[in-house]
Amino acid sequence: MHLPVVTGPSRRGACGPRHHRRVRGSVPVLGLALAALLVASCSSTPAASKKNPPKATTTTVTTPSATSTTAAAPAATTTTAAHAATPTTANAATAAPAAHTAATLASACSTTGGALSATCDTQSPSLQLTGAGANSIQPFFARAFYYFNQADHGVSVNYSPAGSSVGVSDIEQNTVQFGDSEIPIKTPASGTGGNILQIPVDLGGVALSYDVPGLSGGLKLDGPTLAGIFLGKITTWNDPAIAALNPGTSLPSTKIVAVHRADSSGPGYDLDQYLIDTAGTAWTSSAAGSTPSTKWPITNVGVGEQLNTGVASFIQQTQGAIGYVEYAYALQASFTNAAIENQAGAFVTPSQTSIADAGAQASNLSGSNFNIIDGPGSATYPLANFSWTLLYQKQSNTTLGVVLGKLFDWVTTTGQDQAKALGYSPLPANVVTLAHQTLLQLESSSGKALFS
Amino acid sequence: MTSTLLEEVPPPRLTPVAGVNEALQRRRARPGGRVYAALRWAGATIFAAVVVGLVVSLLTSSSQAFAHSGIGFFWSGTYSPSKDQYPTGVFIVGTLVTTAVAVALAVPIGIATAAFLSEVAPRWIATPLSIAVDLIAAVPSIVVGLWGLLVLSPAFAHHVEPFLKTVPVVEWLFHGTALGPSMLLAGVVLAVMILPTIVALSRAATASVDVADREAARALGGTRWQVIRTAVVPGARTGIEAAVFLAIGRAMGETIAVAMVIGNSYTIPHSLLSPGSTLGSAIINNFGEANPGLDRASVMGLVVVLLVITALVNVGGQLLLRSRTRTAGTRP
Repeated sequence: MHLPVVTGPSRRGACGPRHHRRVRGSVPVLGLALAALLVASCSSTPAASKKNPPKATTTTVTTPSATSTTAAAPAATTTTAAHAATPTTANAATAAPAAHTAATLASACSTTGGALSATCDTQSPSLQLTGAGANSIQPFFARAFYYFNQADHGVSVNYSPAGSSVGVSDIEQNTVQFGDSEIPIKTPASGTGGNILQIPVDLGGVALSYDVPGLSGGLKLDGPTLAGIFLGKITTWNDPAIAALNPGTSLPSTKIVAVHRADSSGPGYDLDQYLIDTAGTAWTSSAAGSTPSTKWPITNVGVGEQLNTGVASFIQQTQGAIGYVEYAYALQASFTNAAIENQAGAFVTPSQTSIADAGAQASNLSGSNFNIIDGPGSATYPLANFSWTLLYQKQSNTTLGVVLGKLFDWVTTTGQDQAKALGYSPLPANVVTLAHQTLLQLESSSGKALFS
Repeated sequence: MTSTLLEEVPPPRLTPVAGVNEALQRRRARPGGRVYAALRWAGATIFAAVVVGLVVSLLTSSSQAFAHSGIGFFWSGTYSPSKDQYPTGVFIVGTLVTTAVAVALAVPIGIATAAFLSEVAPRWIATPLSIAVDLIAAVPSIVVGLWGLLVLSPAFAHHVEPFLKTVPVVEWLFHGTALGPSMLLAGVVLAVMILPTIVALSRAATASVDVADREAARALGGTRWQVIRTAVVPGARTGIEAAVFLAIGRAMGETIAVAMVIGNSYTIPHSLLSPGSTLGSAIINNFGEANPGLDRASVMGLVVVLLVITALVNVGGQLLLRSRTRTAGTRP
């Protein structure tokens, strides 16, 4: 599925109209430094800056310490100082009409229609896109952006996996070209740059992985039991509640160590939602409450670890541990995952197929209707979710808008192969259509559609 | 003879060698001095502005939290942003306990290492050993944290912690399940991180003890150990104390390495083996996705509390050192 280009975006010098990035108020010093960097890197001619070919997709692996600063995204940008100037043109376009000095490559695409496989795409103006957001999608984005860069050498993407709400607040404040969040913004979504489009880009699941000596697999758990474990009420693996769900399995008397995410997370949100739906008042009357939260609500039971990797390594090290991780991570670590009871009463282990089943029953997805937790179907895994990419509908820089549109059209179609290779499930056809329809709404600053 | 020395020499009675006065005058007339003075002022102003700006922005961004919870911000409640509860007290206890563990481990080892390096070790041992200590200081905290998470944590869970539970007397500190991530492990990781500070500064302090003091102790028939105990360590006491206060400051403020090994449980620890949480680790875990408004203001409030505590420790240390120096000065 391809997006033919309607309007002719023009090639602009990489260091054309300058614009000071919005940097959040508390760090004006960083703003000054960034401005100085821009001036320094733009003092050379555009021709000179073209000599530096864009790097292969650079995905900034932000350490948790960086995630703790509001300035995470701008900081990530400065890591590629030579290219730092380029993304700012995104915000700059309103300042001046497009400079027609080098209007050749991209406008050539506009007349032929911008199919990704077409030659014009390999000649996209060189652009460095900056995005920030969810950590769970990081393996997929890293891989997808790398392959996109292979297909279209002009475009490299710098994604900072600082967390879903960083993705949301960064796009709302227009400091990145795209954000990504496990939980979309409630519609109608808007920010300082106007209306925000939300595109489902991958389908993942949450695995409940455990390491119990003498229990090799086949453990079944339901909502109330999981709630008991995470509330610290069920403390040994041979607890009657677990035994009742697993007749015929010999359960050891090992102590249960429940591990949760110490930072905020999409998987935590999904499990919270599942427990609210299925565990009844045992869960909702606790500190968890009845509104799902990205921040794990029960912080005084068990152990908290940072990011998917921290939880995964704790499960690997600790006898009797159980915790929740993004399925792609559990797959990489070859974890044993519990079969979780779904709405139909069947116990299903996470797999690409069972998570795909969960995605397939999604209809009328939107920012307000995104919950596919505990969906119908006897083979459906109950803990699945879409990750959402957030873009401004009005792209003040036409060139950049076209590239963004093509990039995410590719990510939701051809790029899904890369998701599959990592253990995510490919997007169902109706969701791909939804993503495509949403991308068609991209507009130039004058309100003209970028694609037809 | 350098010209600086010339300036300090009293006015010459003899006529200076031809050209010296002229050279001195040329030197004074150089504009370098004025530029340097301007730079000094600019540096001082910028530094002061940064400090003031930091404090002001922290206070303004956290004011909402203090306005909301008042003095109660400093204690109890389960951490629950949705219910506006922030158990600062738990984090303060965690900070103090982990720092205490770190200091208890690092101070004796650090001082012993420093004394060994400056008094006992032959040069061929002392040189590589002090380089090694300096290297530890250069290891970024994320690396120490990863090492704690991937290497120390399993070792503690399977060997160290079960062993500590069997040691008579101290085992009351170590009841509960041996998990790996714990207050103890956080303290050990912090001890590794503050050790170089203590060793380097204490070594400088012991090395600067007057040779006459040592010789006096030796002349009185002191063994090498007695010389260290009666002359070197007391003589270097001020320097060692300064080292310890610096180290405490670092231990309290450490975030990421602690967050990786402490287990991030928001409860008052009942044992050193319990997982816990410090101000630093709580800040790093909650800031990333804190929603604007009260949620974020509360995290900034934790930053203010941390700043206040480290400032108190620093000021306390300064006062202590000053009183010591004064006493030392009055000594005959």
